Amino acid sequence: MNNSSHDHDFILRLEGVTHFFDQRLVFKNVNLVVEPGSILLVAGPNGAGKTTLMNIMSGLIPPSAGMVEHRASRDKYAFLGHHTFIYNGLSALDNLRFWSGIYGLRLTEHEHLQLLDMVGLKAFAHEKAGNFSRGMSQRLSLARVLMLKPVLFLLDEPATGLDPASRDLLREVISAGAGDGAAIVWVSHTLKEDLDMADRVLLLEGKKQAFYGLARDYRNQLYGTSLEH
Amino acid sequence: MGPLLNIRFLCLTHKDLKLILADGSGIVQPVLLGLILVFVFSLSTPIGDEVSAQAAASVFWLATCFALVLVFNTLYSIEETNQARTGLLLSPMPLQHVWLSKAVTGLILLLLAQFFFFPAIIVFLGQELMTGWWTFLGTVLLVDWGLVAVGSLLGALSQGHAARESLLSVVIFPLLVPLLLAGIRMGAHFFGGADDGHLSAWAGIAFAFGSVFTGAAIILFPFVYNEY
Repeated sequence: MNNSSHDHDFILRLEGVTHFFDQRLVFKNVNLVVEPGSILLVAGPNGAGKTTLMNIMSGLIPPSAGMVEHRASRDKYAFLGHHTFIYNGLSALDNLRFWSGIYGLRLTEHEHLQLLDMVGLKAFAHEKAGNFSRGMSQRLSLARVLMLKPVLFLLDEPATGLDPASRDLLREVISAGAGDGAAIVWVSHTLKEDLDMADRVLLLEGKKQAFYGLARDYRNQLYGTSLEH
Repeated sequence: MGPLLNIRFLCLTHKDLKLILADGSGIVQPVLLGLILVFVFSLSTPIGDEVSAQAAASVFWLATCFALVLVFNTLYSIEETNQARTGLLLSPMPLQHVWLSKAVTGLILLLLAQFFFFPAIIVFLGQELMTGWWTFLGTVLLVDWGLVAVGSLLGALSQGHAARESLLSVVIFPLLVPLLLAGIRMGAHFFGGADDGHLSAWAGIAFAFGSVFTGAAIILFPFVYNEY
């Protein structure tokens, strides 16, 4: 386990985080630090508690025990997960207008269209989001996330159901975000593909933090074995 | 906080009205149900017999109550599609804005439904308005305020869990009894012109009901809606 993080320079820190659903232990004693400009890959088998951990990190649920420390205001967190938060009855543009309003952003129509252009949806700006494919919906959700200019991206298997082009776009956005100094926490089911992008890896297995450290150490540890979890 | 309240509040209200009025399904159902109720009740009296003003007022508020349940179920179920509710929970917006926005949107939709119920009461139940329009409108708004304050709070409570979906209709009707009594007694005055001398007391009950549940909702709503 590598705990060489600079504790003074972090966006999110978890210390001794333990969580139960009723009497069932999900995981215990998770400790991690998320630094600006870094990518933390969260891996583990189904039911290991990855999504629960993301919900705790985002503040949606409190942990049963332990401490979660945020060093950024709530409007600078962006969450992208299985669910897109999209209103099917609104157009792509109206969806962005709505979420920018909720976050108190005063964006012009041109800025909204620029965001849609970034995710390849400008041509569909006035089309109802309910007509979109899974990939297009997730791209729209990505535009919503980018609009917030977040300092912390919480990505819970965002690539699920996406076509290769959308997955590439997502990876570009993640790399660009980290390059701009944002911290990324990324739950991935395609660890083999995504490990190269990560700085650190957290492996949840057996109801505990089975590994937390540098991605290269994790790669070395798994050398010659399957990287799929 | 002030300007942001306006932006966020307006965003939510604008979005909900746009979604509901665009396909009409969220408002057509409550209006039709209310109109059917008025029509069926009109068949309960023999031809030529008069329906009392109090009975007419009761039918008006009963139709409004059914519309209330349908409107708030629709308003909160909007946020369950694609888990937009989670997006609202993650946003920096105080959750009371959600309650307020849904209450205002619900009030607009309820008034729209009542716009159809009122002429139906006049035509099918043989009533006429015996007082001024502004007094009548003021009274309807006073009772509606209490209705939407409770509807917006309980609407949130009933969402997100399948087992709770029937909760809104089970809990809301007993809770609304004092407000409905006030609405019916005041309605009887407006339709029949009779004044039992307690109108201001009934108005006071409606005002107190609205105030208490507005206060309760502002305190309780974040706990109710934040359950994840």
